[in-house]
Amino acid sequence: MFLSVLGVALGVAVVVAIDLANTSATEAFRLSSEAVTGRATHHIVGSRELLDERVYLDLRLEAGIKDAAPVIDGFVSIPSNPGRMLQVLGIDPLAEGPFRSFTGGVGSGLDLGRFISSEQTGVLSALTAQNLNIEAGDSLKVRFEGQEQSITIISLLEAESEQSARVLDNLLIVDISTAQALFGMAGQLSRIELILSEESEQSAQIAALNEFLPVGAVLERSTTKSETMAQMTRAFSLNLVALSLLALVVGMFLIYNTMTFSVVQRRPTIGRLRALGVTQKEIFSLVMGEALLIGVLGTGIGLLAGIALGQGLVHLVTQSINDLYYVLRVRTWDLSYWSLAKGVGLGVGATLLAAIAPAREATSAPISTVLQRSTEESRVREGLPRLALASLGLAVTAILLLVLPGNSIAISYLALLLLILAFATATPSMVVGMARLARPLMSAVGGVVGRMAAQGTITALSRTSIAIASLMIAISATIGVGVMVNSFRSTVEVWLEYTLRADIYVSPPGLVFRRNDATLLPEIEAILRSQDGVVGAYSVRTASVKANNERADLVVVGPGPQRKEGTRLKEGDPDRVWDRFGAETTVLVSEPYSFRNDIHVGDTITMGTDQGEQAFLVGAVYYDYGSDLGAIMMSRNTYEMYFMDRGVSGISLYAAPGQDVDALIESIRGRLAGKQEVNMRSNRSLREASLDVFDRTFTVTIVLRLLAVFVAFIGVLSALMALQLERARELSVMRANGLTPRQVWKYVTMQTGLMGFMAGLMSIPLGLTLAYILIHVINKRSFGWTLQIDITPAILGQAVILAVLAALLAGIYPAWKMSRSNPANALRDE
Amino acid sequence: MLPDSKHEPLLKVVNLTKTYLEGESERHVLRGVQFEIYKGELIVMLGRSGSGKSTLLNLISGIDVASSGEVFFGNRNLTALSENERTLFRRESIGIIFQSFNLIPTLTVAENMLLPMELTGRLSTAQQARALEVLEEVGLKDRSDSYPDRLSGGEQQRVALARALAHEPLLILADEPTGNLDFKTAGQVMDILQRLVHDEKRTMLIATHDRDILNLADRIFSLQEGQLVEVTLDTAMGV
Repeated sequence: MFLSVLGVALGVAVVVAIDLANTSATEAFRLSSEAVTGRATHHIVGSRELLDERVYLDLRLEAGIKDAAPVIDGFVSIPSNPGRMLQVLGIDPLAEGPFRSFTGGVGSGLDLGRFISSEQTGVLSALTAQNLNIEAGDSLKVRFEGQEQSITIISLLEAESEQSARVLDNLLIVDISTAQALFGMAGQLSRIELILSEESEQSAQIAALNEFLPVGAVLERSTTKSETMAQMTRAFSLNLVALSLLALVVGMFLIYNTMTFSVVQRRPTIGRLRALGVTQKEIFSLVMGEALLIGVLGTGIGLLAGIALGQGLVHLVTQSINDLYYVLRVRTWDLSYWSLAKGVGLGVGATLLAAIAPAREATSAPISTVLQRSTEESRVREGLPRLALASLGLAVTAILLLVLPGNSIAISYLALLLLILAFATATPSMVVGMARLARPLMSAVGGVVGRMAAQGTITALSRTSIAIASLMIAISATIGVGVMVNSFRSTVEVWLEYTLRADIYVSPPGLVFRRNDATLLPEIEAILRSQDGVVGAYSVRTASVKANNERADLVVVGPGPQRKEGTRLKEGDPDRVWDRFGAETTVLVSEPYSFRNDIHVGDTITMGTDQGEQAFLVGAVYYDYGSDLGAIMMSRNTYEMYFMDRGVSGISLYAAPGQDVDALIESIRGRLAGKQEVNMRSNRSLREASLDVFDRTFTVTIVLRLLAVFVAFIGVLSALMALQLERARELSVMRANGLTPRQVWKYVTMQTGLMGFMAGLMSIPLGLTLAYILIHVINKRSFGWTLQIDITPAILGQAVILAVLAALLAGIYPAWKMSRSNPANALRDE
Repeated sequence: MLPDSKHEPLLKVVNLTKTYLEGESERHVLRGVQFEIYKGELIVMLGRSGSGKSTLLNLISGIDVASSGEVFFGNRNLTALSENERTLFRRESIGIIFQSFNLIPTLTVAENMLLPMELTGRLSTAQQARALEVLEEVGLKDRSDSYPDRLSGGEQQRVALARALAHEPLLILADEPTGNLDFKTAGQVMDILQRLVHDEKRTMLIATHDRDILNLADRIFSLQEGQLVEVTLDTAMGV
């Protein structure tokens, strides 16, 4: 009973924790986006998320649009609080009124003249100020792209409600001009927000606005940004949910096993009750009622554990989102009723579902055979061909689902689940086969005890096969995910080796590791290019652009041999594409971009540029594992032709032959001192940093994997307990016939070891199949990456060892209990 | 028929008591049981259900531990042995037949029979041959590779009998050996018992309330209120 409650609790805890972590991240994003969006229905943005401020003036003065507000938003770090980011919202308080209720307070509660006219002033919520240990009048040091600036906090905002407190948390509100100075955006805005009238009149207004807007400026719905952000993390979140469901599937096996055990244990009682006139329906209700109790108890504990675990996971999930997608700070984590309801539904539902078969088993047997355990075992053995057939059917259905055209991740996971079930239903037949093969060996090693241990796995097949199946599933998940992560990692390593060819990489500190769109000061660029010991310096610029009506990352590469050398093409003619790339309106797209947007060589991408919309020809698709969102690669010449931007986001330096790279870094550092803080990494350290981020991204996966193994361990423990308790009498008879307590240990250990070994062996084909599907189907459908499968014998060996160890560990308690029990007690209970 | 010698008891039980704790109260199942068994004797122990017959057999075999008193096999005090020593002694020297057969479902008929010998780790060819002989004697030679769940109740008990006899123990303890069998099958089992015990001069203690067995007995004891009393055949028949 305790073990089944624990099993349900663990399954529910994992699902709820992941759900809470995902929900909290989404909610945090919603709040931060709400903070800057307010009641705006639309906004106008520029080609690179930058817009000339004159557009705003024209809009107010010439087009006569009143409900319009200029906005600059971004993030700054706080040097005194390493790791802490503040969201900055630059506004015009005079235009704010209809947009954001909380910024209304800016106008009412402070010296408006000072806020607007003084440079470098801002307001914070009282709560944020308290967290940062700041009072009104204090100066707050902030850092953006390696440059430190001071903002004088002239007033603190008191939140009027819980909701506005959450929106205001971590928000620094400044005047537009301060924001422009802070982000180096002189004369520019992030966007102009608009409140357009009722839906019915909107289309006319939109048409008029589009007519009015200058080249490069685009009108968008305000929800577009949130949708894009949500789209970014969709696959990431879905994959986490799927992994958490795996723990629940293993948990269900555990519940099934425990409920069956509970029925078997009370077979005599059920037989007596049936003989006394209790109906089948009543027996069914009794067993299901008990399952309900287990489900409710387990779910209750699971919810509490899930909430606790979720707090840890939310940190990991947020870290990954920050590394890969966008800046996100989860201030409060959200206890969503929907997450809890899902946990309750899954926990109780899964328990009841898992209990149906045992409940039917208890009711369907005739009274005379309810008392005979062997009847059930005979039935299981007789049913082996049917189970094998079902397994085949499940496998075929899974394969059909996988080869179905389409990119549905949910269907891929359904196929994965069916394959797991196919292996699970094949387990009894495999156990019988393997036990027969193992019998002579076990006999040679352990004599009659070894033989009995092997035969015992067949005799109690209904128990052993469930325990072996749940362990097999958990271990195969370890193999599958392990091979996937390994393959991914080694592919990324090879890719980094290929791509990172320069000796030193210089860039301003960015906010998102994988997407650095910060700008190097022009003087820094000049210093780097003129540095002694540097024989080549190549620039890269990252910008966010609108391509085919979607936001996309544009990677602009300067001229040089590094383009060709560091890029491996998946599609396209390598001999011709590079000439065209430098000279014409040809761009390259990364593999994930090609996959997400179904864009291939020869297609065109329409990009919003500072010269208006422009079509670019896709010349090649290149391998890129830097971002699952994908990127478009453009030559610097082409970029400068269509965009006004002349900045660079990073420079890669090639050292002269024989030049000591570390000495070169030190020398550059000396020359840059006091100018702009930059990250300067050697080839090796950048590679290491990239792999660190990679490993951090998969920490959640590893945590989930371990939890699944732990759930399976509980499953095996429960199954072994059930087995050994059921065999109490058999062992007592053996004790009566001369089996010593030490031989009891040997018997249980050999049997559990064999079960673990079987689970380990069977987990290899399933694990590799899972890995294949994860890599070639789910990863493809989620992210579009081509990964080389990397199977190391170590990972397979570890899996078998893990299975055997888990089983042996689970056998310790039953072995101890059985060796200490008085056989007379079991023999007396006749 | 009397045994050859009554001077050297094979088994000597001295003032044996067994008390169980049932909640707060104590239940005295055996109260100072004393008796001796000599080599070649067939002793029948009568007693109602719950009178303590099985408990006494468990104490004699060392499966259970007495509250007080001693059990001697020859000069060896079984009650002074450790759990492990008692087990080793049991598998060498005692054969047990249970009411509900208690064959090991994971072992074949032959393996069940050889179990006590195999557990010693020293199963000789001669022992194997002897086991097959015994199996033939109980009429189940052709079922040696079958698993217990394929056998009838009578067949299972015959295997249990063969298992108890095959390793040629000093003493055979039988707890209601015909209790789970119908009249006809019980008769068959008793015939085998009689043949094996009397012809081969085995020493046996049978706990039963089957009066048909009484005719085979050399001596009859009755276990009443925790004490063992020797009774005559006539008394036993009237009990």
